[in-house]
Amino acid sequence: MDCTSCDTVPPRPDRPHTFIAHAQDTCPTCALAGEARVVLRDGKVVHLLRCTTCGPQEREVHANAQTWMQEFLAKGVVPAGLVGDHLFKHTTSTCPKCLALVKADVVIRKDRVFFLKDCVRCGPSEALVSEDASYYVKAYSFARAGTQPLIFRNTAEHGCPTDCGTCDDHEQHTCLPIVEVTDHCNLECPICIVDNNYSKHMEPATFQKIVDGLVEAEGVCETIALSGGEPTSHPQILELLKIACRPEIGRVVLITNGIRLGKDRELAQALKEMGIYIGLQLDGFTAEVHTKIRGKDLVKEKEAALQMIEELDLPTQLIFVATRGVNDHQIGQVVELFLSKPQFLSLNFQPVAYTGHGGGTFVHDPNDRLTIPGVIRHIDAQTGGKVGYTDFFPLPCSHPQCVSLTYLLRLDDGTSVPFARFVDFEKHATLLRSSATLPATPEVEDALADVIHEVFARQDEIERGPEILAALRRCLDEMFPQKPLSARDQFRASERQSKSIFLHHYMDRHDFDLERLRKCCHHYPQIDGKIMPACGFNMFHRGAAKGPETPRAKFGRAPFSLPVIT
Amino acid sequence: MSALCAGRVAFVTGGSRGLGRAICKTLAREGAFVAFNYLKHDEDAAATVAAIEAAGGRASAHKVSVLDKPGLTELAKSLDKLHGKIDILVNNAGYGQVVPLALMEESDWDEMLDTHVKGAFLSTQAVLRTMVREKYGRIVNVGSLAGIKMMQAPVHYATAKAALKGFTESLAKEVGRYGITVNCVAPGILDEGVSDHLPPGRKEEYLRHCAARRVGKLSEAADMIAFIASERASYTNGATLVVDGAV
Repeated sequence: MDCTSCDTVPPRPDRPHTFIAHAQDTCPTCALAGEARVVLRDGKVVHLLRCTTCGPQEREVHANAQTWMQEFLAKGVVPAGLVGDHLFKHTTSTCPKCLALVKADVVIRKDRVFFLKDCVRCGPSEALVSEDASYYVKAYSFARAGTQPLIFRNTAEHGCPTDCGTCDDHEQHTCLPIVEVTDHCNLECPICIVDNNYSKHMEPATFQKIVDGLVEAEGVCETIALSGGEPTSHPQILELLKIACRPEIGRVVLITNGIRLGKDRELAQALKEMGIYIGLQLDGFTAEVHTKIRGKDLVKEKEAALQMIEELDLPTQLIFVATRGVNDHQIGQVVELFLSKPQFLSLNFQPVAYTGHGGGTFVHDPNDRLTIPGVIRHIDAQTGGKVGYTDFFPLPCSHPQCVSLTYLLRLDDGTSVPFARFVDFEKHATLLRSSATLPATPEVEDALADVIHEVFARQDEIERGPEILAALRRCLDEMFPQKPLSARDQFRASERQSKSIFLHHYMDRHDFDLERLRKCCHHYPQIDGKIMPACGFNMFHRGAAKGPETPRAKFGRAPFSLPVIT
Repeated sequence: MSALCAGRVAFVTGGSRGLGRAICKTLAREGAFVAFNYLKHDEDAAATVAAIEAAGGRASAHKVSVLDKPGLTELAKSLDKLHGKIDILVNNAGYGQVVPLALMEESDWDEMLDTHVKGAFLSTQAVLRTMVREKYGRIVNVGSLAGIKMMQAPVHYATAKAALKGFTESLAKEVGRYGITVNCVAPGILDEGVSDHLPPGRKEEYLRHCAARRVGKLSEAADMIAFIASERASYTNGATLVVDGAV
């Protein structure tokens, strides 16, 4: 399933199967043990293996995909009275000490999900991967077939994760390319997930080639994000942004800590005129929180950035890195702020990943950390149920354990109602997309028609039913007017209708899951044309998975160290 | 074979007289509970109910205009509350008026279009909620041969009936996914109802072109409507079915 609203010309083809999970198997030819992709294809269940001796192999393991799926989900039900761990499945993770790929038992323990690993060199380890086993198991039922790029930059040879770039075994195209345009930064964040060396700003000509390569691979992109380092540290940042503003790209997002934005009106005005979206890191509201997470008191700087955003009406995504015991008590506050201003289109919670220059060494307990369900519980509790636990659903675009989201419909009085209060998302999976807003596609129009009729039929039972119907009428009028709209105007029209709250859990050495990487759709495009799935890049290529000076994997490739595309 | 509409709940607009009464009686005979609305004629409405009950059927009459949106909404809600559903809607309310375009007042035009077209829209909107919820419905719009073929018919009447054909086809596409069918039954000249007011010679002209060599009976149109409103017509959708003896 394509996850963007892009009007793809030519269209990106769907994958020929629906990728579900990884499983242990043996090569059908030589019986060598290996890890298989479990896929649903033509109503059957097939294991796809890449045998190091025999090459690509496959084996049908079940004749009825629906039955198999039911049986698979049933494995996640803990037998009554069981004491101890319940084994749900297996996957491949990493040893948190030596970063070697190791088999992981995925077990349910007291309604939570853990990886149990045993590295031959370093010994056993455990890691919490989800604070809600029911959510974790059910998430697999949301899996949908991915879409592949027009061009793969690599061919699968050794198997995941060594062939990244992406290879033709990868299960999703690039939904969100994040280009790191500089390794300079004006902060030293204790939770930084990259590894700034203060050595390079990307040349505009290089960035141009990266963007050209992206468009070549994707056809069109809903969004491109410029990151760093701190991208506003780049002396030619406006030139780069101008390069990214092209018809094939719907939104250009500048991910920033907001320090320069809050005090440089000239820059902010230029961003406004170029139609740039802001991705503002906002992890809290107090000096203590900022100091613990970002290394210094940023209260005034964040307030200045927020004021500039409001004054210039800059469309903005708020990004909140949630850390247990540090800023999780301010989750509700950021939700309330997000709901209060029309400039805030989406709110992205990222349960902290303990990787990178800062994050790799940030004090933490891998068995007691925030995961997606934990953040959602805080949202529910701290907003008094305004946005509730059951309003969120796994996003089928990426691996369903990676992202959870809810859309909130904007009512005519400016307040918002979560779509889940009046939409059955399990039925209308089309509405669960990766974009920050509902895209104006024929599929969404069709799904909206269903939603409208269902609300129409039950308007007396649904809280604020008539107001929701009026808002849905506005959605139709503005998103699907009786005149052609450019892709950019479609985005603008969509953005006026709804907001979204995302939770994206990037992986680290504790909870790394190879099957999640397999369908990753947040990618770092590189200067050699490779498009690297984010968590794989952070784990094996950046050289900071455990903090500074972490040895790279043998196949690792450092950022900025590669030849320019020719 | 069991009755066509056994256990169903029907709402018929304009059910007190003429073809409307025949539709009500036929649907009741076929097992439906029939609710109908009317505008003016209390005695006729009571007579329709009495006739149905005398034949062992069940019916209720409701004095509310098809242009009264709140009244229709309340009526639909009360029927839904009482019966738990509304399975069948027959948009029948209408009237004939013989007047050439040259003499037609704007109010003539508006009243004709409002009663036939806006009335069908408002009645359908009031009832559709329960049909979508129940994933079942039969909507039958009473059109006319005058809305399909070039005939000597008043322009505003022909326009209104033609509009119902478009209403039928578009709505059928829109709500078909909920198990709701929308069809139009277009009678030719029938022996009662609007044909009572035809100018001299118009009926004879019709008969000259009609293979059946006679006008139709109200019951012949009503029987077709009852069939289209039944579960058995499950694959007939968006259609206009002509009941004219082959003109």
